[in-house]
Amino acid sequence: MNGSVIGRGTVVRGNVRGTGSLEIFGRVEGDVSVSGELVLGEESAVKGSVSGSHITVSGAVQGDVRGSEAVLLERGARVVGDLTAPRIGVATGALVKGLVRTDGEPALGAPRRAATGGARPMAFPARPAAPAPKPAERAEPREESESDAPPPMKEPKAAREAPPPPVVPALAKGAKAKKKKRED
Amino acid sequence: MAGTVIGEGLSIEGDVSSEEEVVVQGNLRGKLTTTDAVSVGSSAVIEADVSAQSLTIAGQVTGDVTAAERVDLQAGGRLIGDVKASRLTIADGASFKGNVDMDV
Repeated sequence: MNGSVIGRGTVVRGNVRGTGSLEIFGRVEGDVSVSGELVLGEESAVKGSVSGSHITVSGAVQGDVRGSEAVLLERGARVVGDLTAPRIGVATGALVKGLVRTDGEPALGAPRRAATGGARPMAFPARPAAPAPKPAERAEPREESESDAPPPMKEPKAAREAPPPPVVPALAKGAKAKKKKRED
Repeated sequence: MAGTVIGEGLSIEGDVSSEEEVVVQGNLRGKLTTTDAVSVGSSAVIEADVSAQSLTIAGQVTGDVTAAERVDLQAGGRLIGDVKASRLTIADGASFKGNVDMDV
């Protein structure tokens, strides 16, 4: 048995990481990262990012939660931070404040976030009239992508759509000729 | 079952303070304080000062150790650091380097 428990009467100030499963019923002020199952019990409180394979939250988390398999928020869970996992479940009575994303393997967070942040200012001034299709366009490549490679791809695409259609000559066909005739 | 178990494969860097029994089988670096018993399993590696009601060591501990009641250093256990406790046992086969203060 390789299970670890941080009991109800225990406070950890620092980072917790390792292999195997972990159950937290106490308090942790620091990041928690395990390769196995992670259970955050009803009266648990974690101030820091949390990652594991299958994460069940019934307590409070102030930080991002990343599950390589699933993240389940039970009734009474309170999460202030982003949720990322291929499968996410939120029960009635659970509170979330943050970005919720059903994604594949959570890649490196920082570069991806920077990429989307870069794409936004590009996209919005280009087509301010139609903001609705934008999220879909952005979401699609993100789901397919494992890394942050696609975002730079879609930036030029957005830019290409952005400019108005090629300028058609203002004068109608034959107008010049008519003008000439008139002058004559 | 013990209140807190730091299992094999788990490592904590920082302070652990508790009001319940703590069993360590993994790694701990920092500080461990509890008002209850601490048990250091044979696979444990602790680099921390430990303060507890009572302390049983079968693994490796580097750091000063204080127990309100007793310290038991078991065979195979390894302690490098000072011991402050009113009772101390050191089993045959245990390694120990440090001072002992039995509060006499």
